[in-house]
Amino acid sequence: MDDTQARLVRCFSAVFPSLSREDVLQASTTNVKAWDSVASVTLFAMIEEEYGIEVDVEDLAEMVSFERILAYLRKSNVRKEKQ
Amino acid sequence: MKVSGTRLRSTAMLRYGPESSADLLMKLIEALEILRTEPPADARTFQVCLVSGFNPLHFQTFLTARICQMFPKRRPEIIGGLYGDIWGNLKRVAEANADVCVVLMEFADFDPRLGIRGLGSWGPEALTDILHNAEMRSEQFLEAIRTLCKNMPVVISFPTLPLQPVSFTQGWQASSFDLELRAIVSSLSLEASRCSNVRVINPERLDQLSPPTNRFNVKSELVSGFPYGLPHASAIAELMSRAIQPPMPKKGLITDLDDTLWSGILGEVGVDGVSWDLDRRSHMHGVYQRLLHALSETGILIAAASKNATEIVDEALAREDLLMPRSALFPVEAHWGPKSQSVSRILEAWNIGSDSVVFIDDSPMELAEVKAAHPEVECILFPKDDPQAIDGLLYRLRDLFGKAAVSEEDSIRRESIRRLRVREEQIESGQGTADDFLRQSEAELTLSFSKDPLEPRALELVNKTNQFNLNGKRYTEASWQKYINQTDTVFMLAAYRDKYGPLGKIAVLAGRKMHREISLTMWVMSCRAFSRRIEHRCLRELFERYDVDQIEFDFQCTSKNRPIQDFLAEVLGESPTSQCKLSRKQFMERPTETFQRVLQAANG
Repeated sequence: MDDTQARLVRCFSAVFPSLSREDVLQASTTNVKAWDSVASVTLFAMIEEEYGIEVDVEDLAEMVSFERILAYLRKSNVRKEKQ
Repeated sequence: MKVSGTRLRSTAMLRYGPESSADLLMKLIEALEILRTEPPADARTFQVCLVSGFNPLHFQTFLTARICQMFPKRRPEIIGGLYGDIWGNLKRVAEANADVCVVLMEFADFDPRLGIRGLGSWGPEALTDILHNAEMRSEQFLEAIRTLCKNMPVVISFPTLPLQPVSFTQGWQASSFDLELRAIVSSLSLEASRCSNVRVINPERLDQLSPPTNRFNVKSELVSGFPYGLPHASAIAELMSRAIQPPMPKKGLITDLDDTLWSGILGEVGVDGVSWDLDRRSHMHGVYQRLLHALSETGILIAAASKNATEIVDEALAREDLLMPRSALFPVEAHWGPKSQSVSRILEAWNIGSDSVVFIDDSPMELAEVKAAHPEVECILFPKDDPQAIDGLLYRLRDLFGKAAVSEEDSIRRESIRRLRVREEQIESGQGTADDFLRQSEAELTLSFSKDPLEPRALELVNKTNQFNLNGKRYTEASWQKYINQTDTVFMLAAYRDKYGPLGKIAVLAGRKMHREISLTMWVMSCRAFSRRIEHRCLRELFERYDVDQIEFDFQCTSKNRPIQDFLAEVLGESPTSQCKLSRKQFMERPTETFQRVLQAANG
């Protein structure tokens, strides 16, 4: 597990404390009951703070699972390095 | 995607110094992780009414985490309100009986046109109307706060977000609209701060923690109705939590003299060679003296510990241009022995715990020597060559010693300790016995049993007294008020004076009366009042006034309450235990001569 993924697991665990590490890796809006709009706002505020990024509002709709968010962050880091 | 990455820790470091700033701002992930820790199953709730016109979202998370840290044995419970309805929310919580009410106001609460969500006109003709609304809202708010603070302590943060460009002037020119609006808010904060039980967040301290340009998060306001950037929300929560439960102020400061209270080494440059002025580039020592003098005027004990010959120190302290007069220093320990020994003697003279004391010296070696002998003393380096750091030290000292109000007792504390010391020295040198002194001291004990209005000094005594303290229990303002207001609670506050001067209000007793028994849950007495048999007299008064046969003590042994343990052992004839009882018969059978005339306070 690389650093980006490990930090994201920590973010998910903070917002969804009942999920096990394995559950976090599989988490999505469809299989996590607690993932409502407030949890979303909290999760993305935390991700922005943790990774020092700002997530565009348009991108939010796409980020419906741990996997997609991780992919977004990896892509963002690549983009950040190019800047 | 933009990279923001703005962090405020470094900014905070500049003002606070490395000792206190590193962990000042909490991150959201840290706050959530704190909230995962479950309080004990039997934890009482700590209720907070949270009033705002916006969705308090992450602020609520930060505040709850701070409360968990402050009260690990309590379960925080936040009572929120409705979005966009600060006025309704204020009314709804007015009757609540929470531990504290926290109010966040922003400009949009005075008129929706001042917020980004309200799309009402900013035309020149609208400005007068906005100001008119703000005036009206301000009066309404003050009225609500005056009602609210009768039930619970209130902590308020007045507008922190930048004012939208409502007025027609260019941004670098202050418009009369902006100034007038700020004057309304400023006048409102002043009036609110004057209400008892209300604390207003210091905007200047918030500026240091949270730069104004980074506060407003437009996206968050539009998406979720939460207008604060996370660092800003964290900073407000930090300051509000401190206002909810301020740390106990320190009681005494021990200062070094050479290169600290003044610039120069007395033994090298002589009495006239030490300085604290601009001409000799030693002005910051004068600034330090001024603060120490101001602290002493608020009842903080100030002593000196110096490695010097006594005579030369006496001579230097007699200089008339000292801003910290000799009379404000007690005691002065000037000799060549270790400073840790000076500190021991000063602590003995003051009769306070070492954890209530700060020691300041320009030498790291002296600080280390004192710290090794007195680990609980807070040791601070005087940064003699760094005026900026000395300026920072002044703020730190205000934080360590600051208090919400200065009481009558604060102004007489130093003198009463000095008199006590003189008396002890006279007894030690054989000039009369303790009884002789008490007999001729013309002592008066004034007792007050009034619960309304509740004397604020009583809670102060309860929360700061360690040695003569029945069980070490502390109270918040709200819990104290609730406890005292119960109909079966008996309450006694004792003030003492003798021919040498007043000691002020020095003892508090509180408990429950059930039939012919009092269950005493709280008993504290200032250490300045020891050795006068006031404690014997207080017990006698309890038996007589309430006509009870027995007093039960909610006693708990603490690491610091040896004086009350010894007293209870004396009257009980055995070591005190939890819920130990003393019968009236037992107490009266072994009478102790007391020498005070007892008076009842005018307010009952």
